[in-house]
Amino acid sequence: MMLARVADSLYWIGRYVERAEHVARLADIMLTATLDRAETAAQVARIALSAVGEATPEKIATPFESARGLALDRMDGSSVVSSLALARENARQVRDQITSETWERLNLVHLRLSGATAAKSFNDGSSAFLHDIIADLHLFKGAADATMSHGEGWRFLLLGAHLERAQLIGRLLEVCFGRGVERLDHPTLTAVLRMSCALEPYLRVYTADVRARPILEFLLLNAEFPRSIRFSTDEIEAHLSVLSRHTEAVHAGPGRLAGRLKARLQYADMAEIEREGSHVFLEGVLAECGAIHSGVYDAFVAYPLEMRLPA
Amino acid sequence: MATAQRSEEIDRALAQEAAETAAKADVKPPYDEMHAPDGSVRPHFAIMARRLAALGPGELDERQRTLERFFLLQGITFTVYGAESSTERIIPTDLLPRIIPADEWARIETGLVQRLQALNLFLADIYGERMILKDGVVPRELVLGAPSYRREMQGLYVPHQAYANVCGSDLIRQEDGEYAVLEDNLRVPSGVSYMLANREASKRTFPGTFRLAGVRQIDRYPDLLLTTLRSMAEWRPNPQVVVLTPGVYNSAYYEHAYLARLMGAPLVEGRDLVVHDNMVYMRTTTGLRRIDVIYRRVDDDFIDPLTFRRDSSLGVPGLFNAYRAGTVVMCNAPGTGVADDKAVYAYVPEIIRYYLGEEPILPNIETFLCREPAQMSHVLANLDKLVVKAVGASGGYGMLIGPHASAAQREEFAQAIKADPENYIAQPTIQLSTAPCLIDGEVDARHVDLRPFILSGEKITVTPGALTRVALRKGSLVVNSSQGGGSKDTWVLAGPGDDLS
Repeated sequence: MMLARVADSLYWIGRYVERAEHVARLADIMLTATLDRAETAAQVARIALSAVGEATPEKIATPFESARGLALDRMDGSSVVSSLALARENARQVRDQITSETWERLNLVHLRLSGATAAKSFNDGSSAFLHDIIADLHLFKGAADATMSHGEGWRFLLLGAHLERAQLIGRLLEVCFGRGVERLDHPTLTAVLRMSCALEPYLRVYTADVRARPILEFLLLNAEFPRSIRFSTDEIEAHLSVLSRHTEAVHAGPGRLAGRLKARLQYADMAEIEREGSHVFLEGVLAECGAIHSGVYDAFVAYPLEMRLPA
Repeated sequence: MATAQRSEEIDRALAQEAAETAAKADVKPPYDEMHAPDGSVRPHFAIMARRLAALGPGELDERQRTLERFFLLQGITFTVYGAESSTERIIPTDLLPRIIPADEWARIETGLVQRLQALNLFLADIYGERMILKDGVVPRELVLGAPSYRREMQGLYVPHQAYANVCGSDLIRQEDGEYAVLEDNLRVPSGVSYMLANREASKRTFPGTFRLAGVRQIDRYPDLLLTTLRSMAEWRPNPQVVVLTPGVYNSAYYEHAYLARLMGAPLVEGRDLVVHDNMVYMRTTTGLRRIDVIYRRVDDDFIDPLTFRRDSSLGVPGLFNAYRAGTVVMCNAPGTGVADDKAVYAYVPEIIRYYLGEEPILPNIETFLCREPAQMSHVLANLDKLVVKAVGASGGYGMLIGPHASAAQREEFAQAIKADPENYIAQPTIQLSTAPCLIDGEVDARHVDLRPFILSGEKITVTPGALTRVALRKGSLVVNSSQGGGSKDTWVLAGPGDDLS
């Protein structure tokens, strides 16, 4: 049992932190790519910018400024600093529900990013700056995992994180492979793997054979890699089935959707997906994620009171 | 920079002026918490004095920075909202603890228990039979005309007659060292989280000294608070307690979340609660759940738009009716403010004698009520010596400190008093006692007051510790955090019979 508003806040903390981590990583990889050939750099910048927002020619041409915007632009709602400010504001509203260890990690990274010296730190060493943010967010997740009770609140936090992750990776795959599979060069494909934090785990499965089709297969369907869409949908389903246990059957909407999506990825066949067109499959997955999001709201947060009043 | 410089100049001028006034009026010097008049260190400060002498020059400053970092990290902050962005500041905290010996504390404790007992009886009486008004001990119009009087509370049953479940009284120390009560806070007193956070900080800063000194523990406060709150709903087998906060934008939000977390009670906002058939529920992920006790940190005016202020969105429509129906308890009870009214304050010694038949253990500060014509003329004739307060104001606003004010300011107040005498009281200017504080890396004396916290439910308990508020500007007598005040930890030393906890 927990307050509906609190569950909502924890869910959003999960989402915002996941988004901040992803955007920081994309910004970092976009900057690293500037060391490659100009065409590769532009290709990587296009992918990174499209995956989290809009890729205009000006933005692609100025990767350093674009990366700084992704990290520090307060006017951009999906920048790292904005996401973390929102995560932290939500955490403040449920300060009594999260452990001090968890709170401290989030508060610290927020203070560092919103402080007066953030822009200077970025200019002095953008890669180290972004790397530290990602490392701090890992510490946050570790602290949450190791110090919070693995009860309802923690499950809402992870539900938000995995739903966000599935959508972010789904969007990235759409940008890369939605319009056909064989057009990206080798350094770009490596950059895509890095954007999903998947390079090393991928190499262990497929060895140094970096090609588009196995990358798509790995990020969509691998059962063990924690950032594949299949893995995230497994988690979403697992958390929702526990969370739905105490709601009445009529409210089991999101649980049913999550189970169906899980099965869809569990029994998917790569050849079939390709025949259909990978963009069709990805669109379907993203739409299902959106439906689960609304379902969570209807079942746990914004339910009509008439249904729940004592007789 | 310019403002800092100017405020320094003002400080200097103020200190000088205070010294001159003191010399002219032959005012006694303030009581020094650490040093006896002959300059020797008082015995209960001896351990701390030795520790301070052993520290290197930069060390204290270093520790102060560590402490500030700890506060910032924990989010013990208040938010200052600006045009462009909002910034967070920590409450200025001084790391040198104020120390109170066991015998002094014993007197404070019994005095506070006596006072709160009498004030609870007073509230039960004025919202019941009104015997004290019929007997003419307290003027009828003073009570019934007070803005904080709530006629909605008339005849309502309050368990254990405990109206003010959480009370934070402000004590000051007069020039002769005697403690006196300056103000009772019976509405929604705050500051207890700073008491607890300051303790965490001072334990880290002076671990050895803390152990040697034999300091009584205060960390049971959340536990005692929960016990007190639960004792207000004894008819329920396992009462559900919640903390009601105005929300994250309230300056005391940190404290609300802190207490909720340490009590293990949900922290709710008005929008989380629903009243149905005079029962109060909270919206949970699995439906509605009934609530029994609300520790509300929302002012009377805002708790229920149907009963009090209609424009309030912080409260819960129908909450007061549920309270009247007795299905839920609110702590503190609405309408307690009438007993900490600045004009009613003058009658507290009489109230203690009336209900308990005892002499007050802790004295009041002599108070002149401008509503009485004779007292008003005395106030007007002595504006340069008195502190004048508006009855309805708090937080250090609407106040004139006569000896520090200019002739023009005094004239302005004289006009205001004449125009609305009932709204003003006056008290002699008391030189609050001074305690050593760390100011810009140096130890220097600053004026302090003392806010202990008293809980009353089935019984009354005083936590052996307090929030010591500090006027950080030299010579200033205003300790409110909204007016440049800070705070520090308060060590209550264990006596022969005291358990450390």
